[in-house]
Amino acid sequence: MRIAITGIGVVSAIGLNCTETLQALLDERSGIAAMRFLGSVHTELPVGEVALSDAELKARCGIAQEEPMPRTSLLGLLAAREAMTMAGRECDTFLSGTTVGGMDLTEQHWQDYEQGLATENIRLHEAGESTKAIAKHLSPFSFIATPSTACSSALNAIVLGANMLRTGQARAVLAGGAESLSRFHLNGFNTLMILDHQPCRPFDATRAGLNLGEGAGYLVMEPEEDAVARGAKILGYVSGYANTCDAYHQTASSENGEGAFLAMQGALRMAGLRPADIGYVNAHGTATPNNDLSESAALRRLFGETLPAISSTKAFTGHTTSASGGLEAVICVLAMNKGFIPANLHWSQGAEGLIQPVPHTLHLSLRHILCNSFGFGGNESSLVISADPIELSEVKKTAMNERICVQIEDDTTVATLVSSAEARRMTPQMRRIVAAARQAMQESGITQPDAIICATQWGCMLQSMRFLQDMMDSNEQQLKPTPFIQSTHNTIASFIAILTGNHGYNATYSQGKDSKACALMDIETQMSLGQIRSALVLEFDEQVEVWDQVLQLIGDRTENIARVTVYTKNE
Amino acid sequence: MEQFIEQLKAQIIEALNFEDMTPTDIDTDAPLFGEGLGLDSIDALELIMLLDREYGIKLADPKAGKAIFASVRTMAEYIQANRTK
Repeated sequence: MRIAITGIGVVSAIGLNCTETLQALLDERSGIAAMRFLGSVHTELPVGEVALSDAELKARCGIAQEEPMPRTSLLGLLAAREAMTMAGRECDTFLSGTTVGGMDLTEQHWQDYEQGLATENIRLHEAGESTKAIAKHLSPFSFIATPSTACSSALNAIVLGANMLRTGQARAVLAGGAESLSRFHLNGFNTLMILDHQPCRPFDATRAGLNLGEGAGYLVMEPEEDAVARGAKILGYVSGYANTCDAYHQTASSENGEGAFLAMQGALRMAGLRPADIGYVNAHGTATPNNDLSESAALRRLFGETLPAISSTKAFTGHTTSASGGLEAVICVLAMNKGFIPANLHWSQGAEGLIQPVPHTLHLSLRHILCNSFGFGGNESSLVISADPIELSEVKKTAMNERICVQIEDDTTVATLVSSAEARRMTPQMRRIVAAARQAMQESGITQPDAIICATQWGCMLQSMRFLQDMMDSNEQQLKPTPFIQSTHNTIASFIAILTGNHGYNATYSQGKDSKACALMDIETQMSLGQIRSALVLEFDEQVEVWDQVLQLIGDRTENIARVTVYTKNE
Repeated sequence: MEQFIEQLKAQIIEALNFEDMTPTDIDTDAPLFGEGLGLDSIDALELIMLLDREYGIKLADPKAGKAIFASVRTMAEYIQANRTK
């Protein structure tokens, strides 16, 4: 099957649509500026904000001012509509990555909740609900999923979408991601001391961290034959992709960039391309000292001494975290259609070990582009977008077996499976799922599953609420980094990979009670395609008192779930 | 000084969640990172936060922590010389 891209949509600090985005890129105009809408006390930190307030976004989207809608969903809706309008068709599948979800509304209404006032916003905290809030203003979809692998979420949505097309489980896919700024993750990144107080400088010797940004980016993907049959304009092809895990550290990338190297290599292999075929790499390039060095090492390992043109566009948009893979995939499609390499703004000085990026717009024809998107926990994904069609194998769905299912509720047994040194940063529920994973791998004899996938409604809620409450109580001062690091939904799946040194496929889905169904869809498509033969599914949620006090206002509560299932291909 | 070192050890144990450990388990002169306690970059950030919260010392550059956190003794000496509360 040839996967055609027939629609793109984008919003970020440099533009509200594709036309504005393209112009800003060509003009080398950055969107990084002083904070206007976020309302954090940390006004010393420059950010890449979308130039509209929530009220203005609602007006632009045609949504009633009183309708509760996270900023993430408003940004997502704006970009998703552009992509679908451009494609001129409806899609049956909507895949949208996010981590922040409705955190902005939870921040704004925290005092209401503390005073026992229910609002319609509570349920929108969930990542999956923020995706559904976008979907309900688009068209009916038969399948919706929210990948949440931190900063690689949107690219993983595109990966799942391509797999679903190739197995016939989807006929037309809208995939990408959306993420607004939140005080929560601005403060979180600040505790990691990786936010630059100046505009960021990816790959520069003087780089001193990233600037956070916000936005959304989506692709409409469909089989080429369908696009041709309806006379749609084809903007490019999804020709290869891979998802791997660095399995090194929760926030740092390995020195040799192992996960990034494997992701890029896997994407090229699927596309049947040699490194020399790649004309441009849109790097993850966050401008943190660690990412840029590690990514440079990985790029050198793959490309050797003859590097292609490389740039990071994060000095334009800021790091749009979970949206970045979608946003940058759209930038790649724009670059390919217009024939240019976007500038790596603010680069002036190289250093040993760092690749030398393209500092100013370069006009040239592009046939194949590689787009990198990496996240906390070492969740690394790479995508190849091509001007020329590339044939990818397609198959019909095949069956799989459930081999074993493990839950351990007795904490004495948990302690025998997880050492106190390993457990020191884990919540009790995290320890239970790590123990269950160990036992499931032992009993099934599958010690290195090809895929590790977590399904969670609320994510790592205990650490998340610890950080949120501290942030509210302290007015954003003197926060501890550990709760933030462990607040992302992908903490569990990446943690298991780190503990077992597993560089295979790694993903997390947060779609309410349907989260497991999303994980199973992912596994089934990959087993059918022969990409994996075994998978570990981690179902995780934890009881959190402070959040239960909020949820009881709408008659709901959290529950403890730590269940691990091993699946294998039916052969 | 020795009394202060004991107090600091207790604060380190709490900040880094070493549940099963007591101050006597930490060697005052052993390296905190690498060998010794085997701390990592997240712990370094937690220790920087500890300096801020407990002693009013603000480090702008995370790399500055490397020399300060060589051992509990170097950390204690740095705090005594630079504390603002």
